[in-house]
Amino acid sequence: MKILVIEDEPEMVKTIESFLSNEKFIVEKATNYDSGIEKVFLYEYDCILLDISLPGGSGLKILEKMKKAGVAGNVIIISAKDSIEDKITGLDFGADDYLTKPFHLAELHARIKAVMRRKQLDGKEILHFGNLSLDFKNRLVFVDEEELKLTRKEFDMLSFFAANTNRLITKEALAEHVWGDNTDAADNLDFVYSQMKNLRKKLKDSGADIVIENVYGIGYKLDK
Amino acid sequence: MKLVNHLVLRLSTTFIVVLFVWSVAYFFLQMNEIYDGIDEGLNNLKQEFIIKANTTEGFVADMVKYNPLNIIVEEISAEDARAFQETYSATTVYFPSELEKEEVRMLTTAFRCESDKKYYRLKIFTSTVESDDLVKNILYMLAGLWIVLALALVFLAKKIIFKSSKPFRKLLAALTDFQMDKSKMISFEPTSIDEYRELNKVVEKFLQENMQAFVNQKNFIENMSHELQTPLAIALNKMELMLNDKTLNRRQLEEINTTLQILNRMKKLNSGLLLLAKIKNKQFEDNELNLNTVFDETVNNFEHLIEYRKIKLQTVNNAQITVRMNVDLAYVMASNLLKNAISYNVQGGEISIVFNPGSITIANDGEPPENSNRQIFDRYFSAADDNRSFGLGLSIVKSIADRYRFDISYRYDSKHIITLIIL
Repeated sequence: MKILVIEDEPEMVKTIESFLSNEKFIVEKATNYDSGIEKVFLYEYDCILLDISLPGGSGLKILEKMKKAGVAGNVIIISAKDSIEDKITGLDFGADDYLTKPFHLAELHARIKAVMRRKQLDGKEILHFGNLSLDFKNRLVFVDEEELKLTRKEFDMLSFFAANTNRLITKEALAEHVWGDNTDAADNLDFVYSQMKNLRKKLKDSGADIVIENVYGIGYKLDK
Repeated sequence: MKLVNHLVLRLSTTFIVVLFVWSVAYFFLQMNEIYDGIDEGLNNLKQEFIIKANTTEGFVADMVKYNPLNIIVEEISAEDARAFQETYSATTVYFPSELEKEEVRMLTTAFRCESDKKYYRLKIFTSTVESDDLVKNILYMLAGLWIVLALALVFLAKKIIFKSSKPFRKLLAALTDFQMDKSKMISFEPTSIDEYRELNKVVEKFLQENMQAFVNQKNFIENMSHELQTPLAIALNKMELMLNDKTLNRRQLEEINTTLQILNRMKKLNSGLLLLAKIKNKQFEDNELNLNTVFDETVNNFEHLIEYRKIKLQTVNNAQITVRMNVDLAYVMASNLLKNAISYNVQGGEISIVFNPGSITIANDGEPPENSNRQIFDRYFSAADDNRSFGLGLSIVKSIADRYRFDISYRYDSKHIITLIIL
């Protein structure tokens, strides 16, 4: 899986690169508008992470050119600008998602996976792991072909773990994923804890062979 | 007290006192003048009488005999006559013809008649009835003048001051309506009065400087929060990477987690500030939308949390409220209000959302506020020892309400009640 990161902040690039490499992605970098254009048109990527403010031009401009030229690429905009107009323009120009900096790496990972999953040829969006299958399109979970009834939030949480296996997810990142950006995470940490208790109980009772473990009270981890 | 009334009162008090003193002085002076005139007449009569007495034999005796109306002559001893002091006095005399006493001015004197070599005491008097009328007239005229002048003074002063302070009042009204964040300069009333012109100039300069400072501050906050996003993102993500380092022990992981939590708080605070700045600075696209629906969907979104806190929530739709506003801001407003009602609620408490024509009221149970209630919409205000929020949530609600001219108020009446009045 090849990912292009178009981002001018060197430390940001380094962090994303080291994170994605760990996830077995091949990461390429472009740190300005021109090299971004060059790489986008020369090579093919499974996913492109695109910053908007770049030296030499706007990331939106790259997106526009890609769209005009019919260059395919699963683009996720990563921007420090939480601007509604940018979001709309970006999505209009064919971006698949918009992530506002600062974001949690687990969130980035989940978004990348979701984008890539949606672009899979069969379009079924079903993920299997262990004896579990997650149907993202219809938001259903099956344990050995038997449906496991989950609430909306429980499904959101389970799918977040499914996208971030073997990774310690902090309660904050989880709360933010489930509750959205403008939620005071502090409000909901207890709630996350109780929801996780329910989810883990449901998984256990249904005979799922995956375990989401609590790590030192810091967060949770799904081991595969 | 109004400036006009204050000035008129001060002015007229002084003038009326001066006018009064002047009138009284004038009156007595005039009175003196009148008595002087009468006394002079009496003196003339006396001179004439004495000359007549000296030259005409038997004149005095005739006078004593006939006793005319205004003259009384009595013989006195030479010693008495010599010791006699001529006096003018106001007294009363009985007039048999009128059958009553009348006020008179009387000259009492003594003289030696050359024709019969005798000494007489002479009393000459004249009625002051006419001069009393004169005095009365003077008094009336003075009083009339005094009243007319006083009234005219009060009326004119009031009118003139009121009229000439028009630029001042205009300025005051404009300043009252002035809103710093609207960046619209007030209009000044042209005036020919130097001080007012100067005042207008100074105020204009002052406002311009402040508006500039305000804009700078707004931009500073926005730019600052914006610039902070990337460093924060890097720090956060680096910590997250470390969290998955398998070589770290529990203690180290906990330290990293603490750092992460702090960075997260910074991130929330920063994005809250950024949102606040944006609400105040930026243009948003507004659409017609139904607030009942917005709140319903928000409640739906929080349903699990409400359930978890065992809160009983009821929505009363007495009216459908449709407004023109930005859809994202509407959701931010609704969710911040609801979040506030949940966060500060008690376990198993109640929340009610009531839609009435033109208003939305959100009431929730919770600990009574410690002191002043006003400041809950202020930036950074959050209840003491509280780490549930950063105190920005309601500030954001207030900013959105202000932006759309909704009137928002808070009170505590065994419940926390926030009312949003939508015109």
